[in-house]
Amino acid sequence: MSAAPASAGAAELSRLLARAAEGDAAAFQIFYDRTSAKLFGVILRIVMERQEAEDVLQEVYVTVWRKAATFDPARASPITWAATIARNRAIDRLRARPARPMVPVEAAHDLADDGPAPDAGLVASHDARRLAEALSLLEPRHAAAIRACYFEGVTYDELAARENVPVGTLKSWVRRGLLRMRGQLEASEA
Amino acid sequence: MSAAPTPENGLAGLTEDEALAMDYALGGLGRAERKAAELRLVGDPAFRARVEQWQTLLSPLDEATPPVAPPASVWAAIAAETTVPAPKPAAMAAKPAPSAGWWHNLSLWRGLGIGAPVAAALAVVMLAQPGAGNDPGGDAVAVAGGPQLRATLAGADGKPLLAAAFDPASGQVRFAPVAQNDAGAGKVPELWVIEGSNPPRSLGIIDISAGTAHSIPRDRLAGVKQGAILAISIEPIGGSPTGTPTGPVIATGALTAA
Repeated sequence: MSAAPASAGAAELSRLLARAAEGDAAAFQIFYDRTSAKLFGVILRIVMERQEAEDVLQEVYVTVWRKAATFDPARASPITWAATIARNRAIDRLRARPARPMVPVEAAHDLADDGPAPDAGLVASHDARRLAEALSLLEPRHAAAIRACYFEGVTYDELAARENVPVGTLKSWVRRGLLRMRGQLEASEA
Repeated sequence: MSAAPTPENGLAGLTEDEALAMDYALGGLGRAERKAAELRLVGDPAFRARVEQWQTLLSPLDEATPPVAPPASVWAAIAAETTVPAPKPAAMAAKPAPSAGWWHNLSLWRGLGIGAPVAAALAVVMLAQPGAGNDPGGDAVAVAGGPQLRATLAGADGKPLLAAAFDPASGQVRFAPVAQNDAGAGKVPELWVIEGSNPPRSLGIIDISAGTAHSIPRDRLAGVKQGAILAISIEPIGGSPTGTPTGPVIATGALTAA
């Protein structure tokens, strides 16, 4: 996003990646030490199973090592780049599961109850606060659907079934919500 | 920047591409739709840019996820797979390389680029192009003269995608039944050989058009024998900048006696 100047931390991580791309194992290890807890948290939240999450994490960092040369600091921050790889690998793993057991209705989060509050305490950066605020302005069910997709890798189909609405309806909740969030961010930037 | 209020339904003017980019970046798509979107990502820079914009927009949400320190065993496994220098090639003449070590780690291949399932889809696309013909016997390619090896290269799902016949005498590799080299704008297929547990070694940029023969420099052929794995990845023009595959691996297969 245009509003995210490379922080000192991001610049340092970019340098570490650049060194890793040249085969610098020590730099790669520092990059791992600084980022792996975050990525592991992201992965664990999606795949839930600890052993599987460890497998995915390993896969992700092997990818990071091999793709370090393709990282472009002009296009993404290093942590966004790495976390995106982690989310995608985790979701791929989730999708590859045979006949994913349906979450029992009782155990499933009721979207309407899953308000904006739970995330708020952990949110630190300026960007994160603005995004959380944009999310909090949405209708609660729409915001909850966006959270469930992003944090848990739940599909639109599963969410629609949970919420007992047509998939088309759910998609429009989510898309409308995302567009509003973007509009809100742009407005607050202006 | 316009702060115009969102229209009543909030979706006016939303293009299909934009919707797909949002859906993919958010993560709500099912498996097949994800693969289709990833296929678009490979060959469509404008679409990729849209997806990256949404990914960047959403990424601060990750701060709301509590970090969890992984066990030390994970780093040990990563280090073993990445930063430990590859063993010097040993004389492995007698033993056909088993699917072990470097090669065996399929997840690593999957980790390259955006994933092998997508890559498989790419190769299918190439196969389906006009002029490809429908050659069901693509796993048998005749190359005249010399002791020959051949490989059926398959995508991650095991489905044969194309065949390669390798003639050590002439140093030629011939591919069938792929039609055009359509790796995507600014991309080329690169051929690799993997011997035993060694990292992939480039055999050069190739044109995987049907029936095209490739001469591979003799110095690169040393050691290529039965049991070695051939792999094709999609790389930037000029080939992999790193000396190892950086793009999606579209097909792989072991060399066997013809």
